[in-house]
Amino acid sequence: MDILRGKKRSSSIFRVVEYFLTFLVIISLNFALPRMMPGEPFLHYSGEVDELVAFYSKEQIQYYHEYYGLDRPLHEQYFSYLKDLAEGDLGFSYYYKENVRTIILRRLPWTMFLVISAMGLSIIAGIILGSYSAWHRGKWQDSVLYTALVVFSEIPAFLVGLALLIWLGAGLGLFPLAGAATHFANYDSIWDKIADMLHHAALPVLTLTLSRTGGIYLLVRNSLGTVLAKDYMLTARAKGLKELRIRYVYALRNALMPLCTRIAIQLGALIGGAILAENVFSYPGIGVLMRSAVVVRDYPLIQGIFLVLAVGVMVANMLADLAYKYIDPRTRPAVIGSREMEEF
Amino acid sequence: MSSCNGYDLLLEVNNLAVHYQTSENFLPALNKISFSMNSGDNLGILGESGSGKTTLAMALMGLIDPPHRVYGSVRVAGKELMALAEKEKKKLRWKTIAMVFQNSLDVLNPVMKVGQQIVEPLKEAENLLEREASLEAERLLELVGLEKYWKDAYPHQLSGGMMQRVLLAMAISCRPRLLILDEPTSSLDPVTRKNLFEMIHNLQEKLGFSMLVISHDLSAVQDLTDKMIVLYAGEILEMGLTREITEEPAHTYTRGLINSSVQAFPYKDLWGIPGEAQIGVRGCTFASRCTQVLAICREKKPPLEQVLANRKIACHRGGIVDLLKATDISKSFKLRNTVIPAVKGVTLRVRHGETVALVGRSGSGKSTLAHILAGFLPPDRGEVVFDNRKVKSNWPACKEGGIQLILQDPFSALSHRFTVEDALLEPLHVNKFGSLEERMIRIKTALKDVQLPTDDEFLKRYCSSLSGGQRQRIAIARALVMKPKLLLADEITSMLDVSTQANLLRLLKGLQNSSGFAMVFITHDLQLARKISERIIVLHNGEIVEEGSASYVMEESSCCHARELMEAGFL
Repeated sequence: MDILRGKKRSSSIFRVVEYFLTFLVIISLNFALPRMMPGEPFLHYSGEVDELVAFYSKEQIQYYHEYYGLDRPLHEQYFSYLKDLAEGDLGFSYYYKENVRTIILRRLPWTMFLVISAMGLSIIAGIILGSYSAWHRGKWQDSVLYTALVVFSEIPAFLVGLALLIWLGAGLGLFPLAGAATHFANYDSIWDKIADMLHHAALPVLTLTLSRTGGIYLLVRNSLGTVLAKDYMLTARAKGLKELRIRYVYALRNALMPLCTRIAIQLGALIGGAILAENVFSYPGIGVLMRSAVVVRDYPLIQGIFLVLAVGVMVANMLADLAYKYIDPRTRPAVIGSREMEEF
Repeated sequence: MSSCNGYDLLLEVNNLAVHYQTSENFLPALNKISFSMNSGDNLGILGESGSGKTTLAMALMGLIDPPHRVYGSVRVAGKELMALAEKEKKKLRWKTIAMVFQNSLDVLNPVMKVGQQIVEPLKEAENLLEREASLEAERLLELVGLEKYWKDAYPHQLSGGMMQRVLLAMAISCRPRLLILDEPTSSLDPVTRKNLFEMIHNLQEKLGFSMLVISHDLSAVQDLTDKMIVLYAGEILEMGLTREITEEPAHTYTRGLINSSVQAFPYKDLWGIPGEAQIGVRGCTFASRCTQVLAICREKKPPLEQVLANRKIACHRGGIVDLLKATDISKSFKLRNTVIPAVKGVTLRVRHGETVALVGRSGSGKSTLAHILAGFLPPDRGEVVFDNRKVKSNWPACKEGGIQLILQDPFSALSHRFTVEDALLEPLHVNKFGSLEERMIRIKTALKDVQLPTDDEFLKRYCSSLSGGQRQRIAIARALVMKPKLLLADEITSMLDVSTQANLLRLLKGLQNSSGFAMVFITHDLQLARKISERIIVLHNGEIVEEGSASYVMEESSCCHARELMEAGFL
C-alpha cells in the first residue's frame, strides 16, 4: 500500500511539473509570436482599423518604441514581460490605450457564452443522436444518421456560418446580421433584454453546435457500441433489470466516460471555431478583438488574448483529468482491506 | 420450494435448437437437445469449449435474440419460455432462474459498487429502500463468506476468488429456484476451488435451489452434481448419473474427456482426444474422432437411447463396444499327478479402445490367462468371445483386426536368424495378405509407427544385432502389421531399462490414442498399471480379487491383497 501511495504522489507531482512546463512554453510562444509578425505596431497608432488617419514620422515611432520599451534587447523585454505577468499585469494596449485585462474581461463573457452554449448543445445533441444510432446499430436509421453526420462534420464551420447568415439572416430575415444586442435599445424588462441577446447569439451558437455535434456523435456511437458488447450488459439483462436501468446505468454511464476527456481536448478546436464564427457574425467577443489586435500589431493585447485562451484550454484539460478520476472508479487503487486480499 | 414431495418438474427442455446467424449462414450451436430437471436435482453439463454449453445457459434464460434463432421448447417451472413476451421473461429471470456467470472482470459493471450490483435485481423486484437494500447486500456478502464492507468495493478491487463469491451472492439475491453455474471453477486455485464447492453445498442446504453446472472441468461436475449430460458439438452424447459415468463412461467421447482430465485421476498420463469437433455434419458429430466408427455413423445421426438403467447415450454401436468377453475361465496344468490350478473362474471384459491392466505377482496366472484370451491355449472351462465370435484355436491372431500378443522376452520372441524384414513379413506371408508391394508398404508404416528406420539397410539387419528396446519395438511392429483391435502385452517392458520402458510405453499409448486398439497390459508393476490404464484387474492365485476403474482400485480398494500389492508397489 505504501508503495502504491508513494507512486501515486510522485505521479501527481510529475503532473504538476508537466502543467507548469506547458504553461512556460505557452507564455514564451505568446511573447515570441507577435514579434515574429512582419509589420510595425505604431503605424496605425490612433484611427480606425483599416483606415489610416495619420502616419507618424520616424522620430515619433522611435519615441513610442522607447516609451513602451520596444527598443530594449529581446531578453530584457522577455523578462520584464514575465515579471509583469507574475504580478498579474497583462500590459497596456498600444491601440486602445487601456489596460489589456480590462479589455479582455469586457469581451470574454460574450465568447464564453458562445462556447459554453455551443458545447452544451452539441453534447446533448451528440449523446442523443449517438445513442440512438448505437441502439439501432445495423439498421437503416443508423446508416442514415451516420452518413449525414459524417458528411456534415466535414464542412468547415465558417462555411456553415456563412450559409446560415445568408439564408436565415439575410434571406429570410429571421435573425440579426451582426452584433450581440440591438444598439441603443430600451428594454421593457430584463427578459426582453435576454430575449434580444439570445436572438443575436442564435446563429453563431447554431453554427458552432452544428460543427461540433458530428465529433461527439461519432464518439458516443462508437463508445456505446463497444459497451453494448461487454459481458456486463448481458449480466444486466440476465438479472431481469428494467430497460431504462440497463440503458442508462449500465450502457450510457460506461460509454460517456471517454467523452469527458474528449470534450476538454475538443475545447481548443471549439475556441478556434468561435473566433471564426464571431468574425462571420461580427459578434463582439474575443475573436473579433483578436482580429483587430493582430491587424494593428497590438503586442500586449495579442499576448493577453493568447494567454487567456491557452490557459483556458489548459485548465479545461486539468479539470477533465480530475473529473475522470472522479467518475471512473478504476483509476482509484484498491483501498479496502489489503489484508483480506491475500486470504483468497 | 413449492412442492411438498420435492419432486416436481422444474425445467423441461424439448428439442431445443439454437442457430447463430453469421454473415453467410446459420451456424447450429445446439441441435435438438432434450432433458429435464426436477426440483432438487443437481445436473452437470460437461463438454469441451465450443460444445454449446454457454449457448444452452443463454437459451434457458431467454437471452438469445434475433437474428439468432431458437427452436423447440423450454418450460421453466411450468411456464413455456418461448411463448413469453420480453417483459414476462424479465419477471422470470433472476427470480426463478439465476446465473453465476463465468468469472471475468467484465462481467460486472465497472463503475458500480459490488454491493449495489448484488441487490439491484432484488431492489427492483421488491421496491426496497436504499437502506434495506444495503443491509441485504451485507447479509448476502456474509452468506458467501465476505466481510460486509466489501459492498463498497468496485469490481476491479476484488481478487478472482472474491469475485466468484460476489457473483454467487448476486445470483442468490432473489432466492432463485434454479441456479446456473457457468464454469464456476475457471481460473481458481485448488484451495479456493475446494472452499467454493463447500460453500455452494452449504448455500444449497440453506436456500434449497437446484443447480445446473456448466463446465469443462470434470471435478466441478463431479463435486457439485449427481446427474450429468455430456455435450458435444451441440448434441447430447451421454447422460446419466455422475458417479456412474465417471466410473464407467459408455461413450467413446466421454471416455476421451475423462482421460484428458487431470482431476479424474491425478497420477495417470493425459491423453487428449485427437482431432477437432465438427459442427453441422450429417451423421454422428463425433464420427470424425471416434475410433470405433462404422459407415452408418457418418450417414445417420444416432438417437439418444437407454443403454443401462440410468444411462442414455447417442451411439449407433450402443456406446463403447465390448471387444472381448471371457466368462468363467478355468485352466489347470498337470504335473505328474498333481493338478495345479492356474486360472480359476475368471470373468472379464475388455471394451473397445480401453487399456486394462492385469496385475498380479508372478505365478498368479496372468500369462496363462493372456494365452487363453488370445486363443493359443484352450481353457478347461468357460469361453472367450471376441468381437461376437467364440475364440477357438487361434483364429483371432490370424486375421486383420484380431488379437495380437506381444511377449515379455523380445530375444526369444524373434528368431535371431530372421532379418527385420523377415520377422515383420512373416505374419503377412503366413496369412497370405495382399501382394508383396502391399506387404512392404505395410511393414514400413508399422516401422515408422514404432519410430524405427525404414531403409533397406535396416530391413536387412538380423534381429540378433538389435538392442532389447529395438527388438521389443520390432515385436510391437510385428503385432501392428495385422492391425489388431486388441493387443495383449505380456510384461513387455520388464526386461528393458527404465528409459527404454518409458519411451516404449508412451509410444504404445500414442499409437493406441490414434488408432484406437484396446490393450490388455499384463504387469506386476502397479505403478506402471495406474500410469497407463483405465481399468485395473488384480489377479491372485488365478482368481480376480479386485476390479475397477484405475482410480477406484488405487484409492478406494478395500481388498487386502490389492492393498498389500499396492504397498509393495509404493516401496
